[in-house]
Amino acid sequence: MVTIGVQTKNVVYDSELRRGGGDRAETEMHPRTGFEMLKRTGFSCADFSLNSYLLNTSLYNFELNNFFDRTVSELEDFFRPHKEGAACAGINIGQMHMPYPNYVPNGKKELNDYLRDVVAPKSMQVCAFFGCPYIVVHGFKLSRNLGSEEAEWAQTEKFLDSLAPMAKEMGIIICIENLYNALGRHIVEGPCCHAKKAAERIERFNEKYHAEVLGFCFDTGHANLVGIDFERFITEIGVHLKALHIHDNDGVGDLHQIPFTFTRTRENTASTDWEGFVRGLRRIKYTGTLSFETGPVLTAFPDEMKEQTLAFIAQIGKYFAGKIDGGFI
Amino acid sequence: MNIICSPSGIVNPFRPEQGVTDISNAGFENISLEFDMCCSAYELENYGSERINKDDSGYPEGWDIRSILRRPEEIGRFYENLTSSIRAKNIKSPLARAPYLPRDTKRPDLKELLLRLAEESIRFCGKIGCRYIVVRPLEKTREQNRECYLRLAAAAKENDVTILLENQCRSVNGHMVRGVCSDGFEAAQWIDELNQEAGEERFGFCMDVGVCSLCGQDMHEFAAMLGDRIKAVILRDCDGQSEGSMLPFTSTYCGHPQTDWLNLIRGLREIGFDGQLVLDIRDTAAAFSPLLRPRLMILAKATAEYFKWQIEIENLLKKYTSIVLFGAGNMCRNYIKCYGEKYPPLFTCDNNRKAWGTAFCGIEVKSPEALKELPDNCGVFICNIYYHEIERQLKDMGIENIEFFNDEYMPSFYFDRLKMV
Repeated sequence: MVTIGVQTKNVVYDSELRRGGGDRAETEMHPRTGFEMLKRTGFSCADFSLNSYLLNTSLYNFELNNFFDRTVSELEDFFRPHKEGAACAGINIGQMHMPYPNYVPNGKKELNDYLRDVVAPKSMQVCAFFGCPYIVVHGFKLSRNLGSEEAEWAQTEKFLDSLAPMAKEMGIIICIENLYNALGRHIVEGPCCHAKKAAERIERFNEKYHAEVLGFCFDTGHANLVGIDFERFITEIGVHLKALHIHDNDGVGDLHQIPFTFTRTRENTASTDWEGFVRGLRRIKYTGTLSFETGPVLTAFPDEMKEQTLAFIAQIGKYFAGKIDGGFI
Repeated sequence: MNIICSPSGIVNPFRPEQGVTDISNAGFENISLEFDMCCSAYELENYGSERINKDDSGYPEGWDIRSILRRPEEIGRFYENLTSSIRAKNIKSPLARAPYLPRDTKRPDLKELLLRLAEESIRFCGKIGCRYIVVRPLEKTREQNRECYLRLAAAAKENDVTILLENQCRSVNGHMVRGVCSDGFEAAQWIDELNQEAGEERFGFCMDVGVCSLCGQDMHEFAAMLGDRIKAVILRDCDGQSEGSMLPFTSTYCGHPQTDWLNLIRGLREIGFDGQLVLDIRDTAAAFSPLLRPRLMILAKATAEYFKWQIEIENLLKKYTSIVLFGAGNMCRNYIKCYGEKYPPLFTCDNNRKAWGTAFCGIEVKSPEALKELPDNCGVFICNIYYHEIERQLKDMGIENIEFFNDEYMPSFYFDRLKMV
């Protein structure tokens, strides 16, 4: 039986006092509030957006913050309200997103060393603290410089090697995700876009560690941008599929919108292959979480509509679940 | 490598003289035979409906598309004007493309007709000495396509023609995604199986750059998966969103190309591509006034030659017993990184006096005067973007064997660029 989840970004906030504008009073924020909203709107799982604490936009500008300078115990203290809030609300933290990139091309050695030696292992510790079974990581984007996808993967694998022993000990599966590269306005495939190759690599990696430490996260939006055949990809990645990032776009930009949003013809039928997506999941008998990575939707809609928006996303999840578990599409 | 110009958008097959002259005057020696010129995807899709009539098909009096569809054996007749025109200009046709249906076809019932058209196209190829024909997969599955291709193999063998499968995309309600033969590994397997069953190398692959680009594919990886099975490449540009056949480097966004030329060139270099390079610029050509088209075709030819030069850049390095470089900057550094070990230069030279006598990336920097005492068969490779300025300088010095090197499409890159003073 599949479950329905969504990323915590723009829903679950840290504990703080928020000063209201004008005459409005201060509001006490607590992570529990967000998790309760998720529960109320129809979700049972959450994809914890750890990446919100060290933004990719900052990293690509070679900027670090000091969030991960905290000790593991300090990080646990920081995230305890989140963990307890989720538990109280009955939300399972089913997957987590590690901050990315894990390697900044042209970044200083100190920056990249910090990402590998501090951010990544501490992310694993946070993942373990939450009792979360999957952590999604981005592979290195280096093929342009190194000259081949193989050479690029070799660097990603080195990075994964640095985390695998921890993953094995903690019972966490690290999930690599299909990514893209931007070429002007045109998006082309990036790391992990060949399902068979990815499956072989995952198998080889897991054999090396005699444990299931590596799996796959299929990102529908990224796949749509580079014309990947959803059904075929999901079928080929098969049992290695552990997590999903479900979101939609116009095939041009990585918009992270609600499925079924985009059309391209006068018939106004969805231009993203959601039928293929469902067929693929049904073929591999997917029983994981249908997790939506639709944080940007919540900034697009007015705050006052957040609950309705989340409920709508959850409804789509239930629709998918019905089709995967038994229906025909 | 054979450079071939597709006549689509340039030549009217019923009155081919002007278009063929434009192609010929631009220096092209080959054109492809595009069987869709007289039997378009649109016409095929509407076969049997009232939507095709003589008025909207653009055919002159006395020609009727429906006759091809009723009697595929007549397909060659529609190309007689074109073939005699190109023969008169000594232009060859080494490659053809069989008729095909639109990407979003709703006509599975036309399979038999398409097979007949493909068979007759193959026969016509045999008649005019055309060696390759691209036949798009007609079905979705390997098994169904296997039957189709093996049926065509008999005609292909009889006419000494090689059938090329081609990567396809398909439309998901207007959004193009990867279709049949768009997985390089799988396509390679298909071809090997077909050749095995045919008992000879009767099948190969045609890589459509436009389709790869629409599907956001890594063309380096794609080419590497198919290797020497790639006998032809359809070179065309598009915006990466909708199908089009534009002149390479013309689809840009804020100064960036929309097609991943770097990975295309890397891939074709890696596999040592030496087949048919088909330039298909039908949309660009059709958009230009016929008055400007002759000049466009000159640019098109130069563009195709540029790709050939980039793909074969190592052949240029192999041509000389020894080489020297001109320029001690980033391009020289990139040369040393990627080719320095395989083709070590004797030295480099530079107009910057301060650099003379120093070492740059492990090679000595000399004055350009040193170029006057080079051994026999030594190539002088200009590693500086001011190519023509330096070429003039070297020619004025009486230097021979001047060549250009270019580092835009290197097999790998440094993460940084040197700041030159």
